[in-house]
Amino acid sequence: MENGKVRIGFYALTSCYGCQLQFAMMDEILQLIPNAEIVCWYMIERDSYEDEPVDIAFIEGSVSTEEEAELVKKIRENAKIVVAVGACATQGGVQSWDQNKSLEELWKAVYGDAKVKFQPKPAKPVEEYIKVDYRLYGCPPEKRDFLYAIGTFLVGSWPEDIDYPVCVECRLKGNSCILIEKGEPCLGPLTRAGCDARCPGFNVACIGCRGAIGYDVAWFDSLAKTFKNKGYTKEEIIERMKIFNGHNPKVEEMVEAAFREVEE
Amino acid sequence: MKNLYLPITVDHIARVEGKGGVEIIVGDEGVKEVRINIIEGPRFFEAITIGKKLDEALAVYPRICSFCSAAHKLTALEAAEKALDFTPREEIQALREVLYIGDMIESHALHLYLLVLPDYLGYSNPLKMVEEYKKEIGIALELKNLGSWMMDELGSRAIHQENAVLGGFGKLPGKATLELMKKRLSEALPKAEYTFELFARLEQYREVEGPIIHMAVKPRGDVYGIYGDAISVSDGFEFPSEDYKMHMVERVVEHSFAKHSFYNGEKPFMTGAISRVVNHADKLYGRAKELYESHRDLLRPTNPFANNLAQALELVYFTEKAIDLIDEALAKWPVRPRDEVEIRDGFGVSTTEAPRGILVYALEVKDGRVAYADIITPTAFNLAMMEVHVRMMAEKHYNDDPERLKLLAEMVVRAYDPCISCSVHVARL
Repeated sequence: MENGKVRIGFYALTSCYGCQLQFAMMDEILQLIPNAEIVCWYMIERDSYEDEPVDIAFIEGSVSTEEEAELVKKIRENAKIVVAVGACATQGGVQSWDQNKSLEELWKAVYGDAKVKFQPKPAKPVEEYIKVDYRLYGCPPEKRDFLYAIGTFLVGSWPEDIDYPVCVECRLKGNSCILIEKGEPCLGPLTRAGCDARCPGFNVACIGCRGAIGYDVAWFDSLAKTFKNKGYTKEEIIERMKIFNGHNPKVEEMVEAAFREVEE
Repeated sequence: MKNLYLPITVDHIARVEGKGGVEIIVGDEGVKEVRINIIEGPRFFEAITIGKKLDEALAVYPRICSFCSAAHKLTALEAAEKALDFTPREEIQALREVLYIGDMIESHALHLYLLVLPDYLGYSNPLKMVEEYKKEIGIALELKNLGSWMMDELGSRAIHQENAVLGGFGKLPGKATLELMKKRLSEALPKAEYTFELFARLEQYREVEGPIIHMAVKPRGDVYGIYGDAISVSDGFEFPSEDYKMHMVERVVEHSFAKHSFYNGEKPFMTGAISRVVNHADKLYGRAKELYESHRDLLRPTNPFANNLAQALELVYFTEKAIDLIDEALAKWPVRPRDEVEIRDGFGVSTTEAPRGILVYALEVKDGRVAYADIITPTAFNLAMMEVHVRMMAEKHYNDDPERLKLLAEMVVRAYDPCISCSVHVARL
């Protein structure tokens, strides 16, 4: 920190720019700005520098080109704290949904035989390339995720990860259960809370945008059994669980296990 | 001839959505080449969603873009519902348009105040304007917050709405919330008008003046709006949305992950707020109509910078229109949020007006899954025309200070309000 101002960088890899937009849209940012120096944030700052030292580096997006793989290494070298922001940076994003299709296949389907002078790579979370200190989950993260993280960083502390599912917040809201009562494939039971059960609150099943709960406590297997009892096939369950968990190695393994057990 | 000059480049255009750069190569004879490099990585949305369940694909499509996620959601939904041969009730359509307008208000307010205005006032970022331009920043926040709140209430949140679903909505806000929305919209109207007056005073850069082909969705119901089933061209031609591939032809270009589009295979064209105004100003009503009549000379069809003012005009128009649409829904209150949609095989094309222009979704549904998807976004349509205008600016200013030329080139690009993230994630051959 220089002149008592925290140096902040916001960097975008391949994404929809929604995490930055969420950050930029917070009225609270006006209170933060007098105490911060924006070193890099192309979305709003013309004088942005990608290779300057910063206190906090927020990275949004999945690594999807050679250039981005190089960029994250540079950011890591220059930053005291690296925060992976949003579903793309933490989980690879929806572009990682289908791990069965190769990059070549995807490229061919969209671009045919045409060549472009930049080199694409399969979409991956930032953590596959560099050490990440903290993660803000969600597509996009909630405003309070940002406020909590920055607030704790500024007092020299460390934010805590949420280790309970969306269901906890859903029950506290008094919603009826979309999964049990309507049989819809709600991913609330294995998805990290913090959104105040936003979608189930609108009577819409959770699609898991905050990713599976960490620490290996996401119960893909028991939820798979529940889905199976509601009439969903193994493939349907894996597909849905992978929308936002394309890189989670547990999904297939645990769903398979659940189905084996049921068959036995 | 060997080029002895260094290219004038902006590696990463700031204050736009997504990653793109501008490259201007000058030779002895003047400007040789102008390229808008789209360096954002590809996300293959169409390829990823093929073979996937329709409702899951519909949850993923809005992730193409954050600035216009409601536009993506609602256009994808309409294409899907057309494929399933389902037409939502009028009141549901009205409320969906209100949600879409929330996106329009937020996106236009952000673009005008946060992305465009700093250039004119000599700032590198909008947060630095807070001290000196309290009123403007206050209005920006108020309009932005209004748009976000409309999307929160009708779409579940301001970015990536999940509440718009096949057949209608998961849940609708109560009558009192809709009454409050009307009240907040009418309170915002003078601020939208202030925005229009502010942008009417800004320079329009006549050096990029020239003929432009404008394309816009022909509004359904003959009132200026977002939804329509045909595309109108400023040369008088009109074609049904289903024929989009015949008249808006795409080509892959080497320097960009996004393709370029040409009208009837050869001519660059423009789409966006100014194109809507040029093609359909006769369908405006209310205060916006008056403002249009008194400022026709500034809302010229020949200048891309007029897009900024056209967006400001739309802030006024859509604020008023949202009030009327809410009234339409309230007249039928209580409104059932959702109808059952029967899943069947079919093909549907939806064309709507996203904040930045025409958005196309073509979806084929087979056995409840996406069998074919073609998505083309406004920025992809605009890229070829954008290069033409950057070139015009460069031809007039290549002897100036390179920093000045860079800024002017960026300002041309920003006037289009490009959504670069959108432009790369889409478009099959």
